[in-house]
Amino acid sequence: MSSAPLEYEIRGWPDTRRRLLRSKMVIVGLVIIGLFGTLAFAHPVLQATVWSSRPSVYQPETGFDPTVIHPSGPTVAHPLGTDSLGRDVLSLMSYGLRPTFFVAIASALGAGVTGLLVGTTSAFYKGRYDRVMTHLADAFTLLPPPLIFLIASKRGLLGPFQLGLLYGLFFGLGPAAIVVRSRALAVVEKPFIDAARAAGGSAGWIITRHVVPAVVPHAAVVVLFGVVGALVTQGFVEFLGIGEYRYGLGVLVYNSLTYRMVLGTGVPWSALMTGALSISLLASAFYMISAGLRDISDPRREGRRA
Amino acid sequence: MTRFVVRRVLWSLVTLVLMATIAFFAVNLLLPYDYALVAGQRPRAIEEIRQQLGLDRPLFVRWLDYLWHLVRGDLGASFGGERVSGLVWGVLPTTVTIFAVGGVVAYLLGEWLGRLVAWSRNRFFTAASSTVSVLLFTAFPPWLVFLLVYFGTGRLLQVRSLFGLDPKPYEPLPAGPELAWLAGGLAVALVAGILLRNRARRHGRRVLGAAALPLCMAAFLAALLVSGAWSEATDRLLWPSAVVATAALVLIAFGENLLVMRVGVAAEMTEDYTFTARAKGVPGHLIRDRHVAPNAVLPAFSRLITSVPYLIAGLIIIEREVKLRGVASLFFEAIEAAEVPVILGVLVVVGLIGAVLRIGLDVVQALVDPRIRIRGEPA
Repeated sequence: MSSAPLEYEIRGWPDTRRRLLRSKMVIVGLVIIGLFGTLAFAHPVLQATVWSSRPSVYQPETGFDPTVIHPSGPTVAHPLGTDSLGRDVLSLMSYGLRPTFFVAIASALGAGVTGLLVGTTSAFYKGRYDRVMTHLADAFTLLPPPLIFLIASKRGLLGPFQLGLLYGLFFGLGPAAIVVRSRALAVVEKPFIDAARAAGGSAGWIITRHVVPAVVPHAAVVVLFGVVGALVTQGFVEFLGIGEYRYGLGVLVYNSLTYRMVLGTGVPWSALMTGALSISLLASAFYMISAGLRDISDPRREGRRA
Repeated sequence: MTRFVVRRVLWSLVTLVLMATIAFFAVNLLLPYDYALVAGQRPRAIEEIRQQLGLDRPLFVRWLDYLWHLVRGDLGASFGGERVSGLVWGVLPTTVTIFAVGGVVAYLLGEWLGRLVAWSRNRFFTAASSTVSVLLFTAFPPWLVFLLVYFGTGRLLQVRSLFGLDPKPYEPLPAGPELAWLAGGLAVALVAGILLRNRARRHGRRVLGAAALPLCMAAFLAALLVSGAWSEATDRLLWPSAVVATAALVLIAFGENLLVMRVGVAAEMTEDYTFTARAKGVPGHLIRDRHVAPNAVLPAFSRLITSVPYLIAGLIIIEREVKLRGVASLFFEAIEAAEVPVILGVLVVVGLIGAVLRIGLDVVQALVDPRIRIRGEPA
């Protein structure tokens, strides 16, 4: 084995950034997440600036615009229209995005940390610990995290962030641990790990400094894939009304579909589609970053004749 | 091979017990019995019910008790006194039918389109197929069902009247032995069609390959006609809620399958063996069907199998929206009522199905893929 890095090995942060920006899927995903992220926290800013003449109209829950007939389609005053109760859809969406973002961040954190911890340590220590962990991971993959998420949201004790962490824990001990372990096994066999051992490095130091950085891209692929599931499940919880959410994209979908059924076809497309499309777009943004990362970290995709 | 299968099954049993343990503790910690009991009961009554259900014992003892019952195939009783296994068994045919038919159709569509798109090397098609598959895979199920119902109901009723059937609202599918027969027959016809088609393709018989699936479906319909169950069978096959639920599942599963298949074929196309085959002048469609596709099919297939437990979560809303009674809606009702035994039972059954599918997948892979060798057997 030569010591020169191979063509496909990711070398440090500048190289990672260069590869990331070459993938169109990653860029599109990042742009979508950035847009929604801005939107989620833009509501107070908008109220202070653009809507400062009558901020009460844009209150997500109690807002009502007396100058328009509701529900209304997109106008300058209401870029996404208003729903049947006269509330501004953009404001509702802005507030609804927050729990979704908390779930996304928490589940990515939970899955990433547990997956990396379990996967790298079981690849590094091998032996009985590895066998136990692999069996545990097999058992966890048979338990779909979305179902656990639904059960946990029933009592209403856990907020979006804790629910996301729980989802991440189950996902991290299952699929993420398996993927990280299989990648880490290849890394542990490399000469530089032997060199680190010979230099007297402790296990913790070798794992955190040498094994973890090498498997982070692969962990990110599977973790972001898990986030997609967490987002859609959070939408379920809101839509089904299991957890008591006042705002949420799922609530938005539920309301728009219910109003439509109760009031006939009078609901404009903007109110009808906002919630469902936001969930879909946000979830697909995470999925696209995951797929793009998989492409750039796959040695078999690089520099082949095509 | 036999030793491999036996060992695989035994290890799966260990995994299943482990899974039941995790599920037991997770459910009991997240949603304790006491949470459901406290609602609207006097303290004395609560104490009595606790003793009746054996909740005064420590969690550890209850866990051993649960496992002991589980090993004997007993999933416990619901709050209403019904056996959980009976409840699950009652709704299982509907869900299995939807999964069998929907999964096969999604797989077929994804495989076919993914192969075509990747082979065409057309950048526009590639981009369009990626967009469509990502959007379908991440589509919010209630919304998908809404669209299907909104645009599809009229067509569906037209098709029903074409077969001389009266219109039907969205209502539960009547479960029974005939449903199992019908689903089994349909799945067998579809799988036979796929196998026949793949064989024909590999031997370069394109006409037979294209006609294999329609032929098998025609044979299935002819069998229905001959058996005299025609009108009843078509009624079940065109049952509105079942059709919409299956279509929704197909769309969600198809999106991912298309993506995996396209990426797989595109990756195989740059392999050296494809280059060699081209250089030797092998016709394009033969390279595609005989060399590239078989290599790309296996990952797509295994992805579909491993995502079955995840699709069940999506099915919860689908079943609820079209008023179908299946495993997913049973699970949802159990959560609403905080029925711990039913929730646990469904989790265990879903895990069991997942484990069985995985064993099947491993065996199929070991049989089909020459690169996989079983320890202890000559290469």
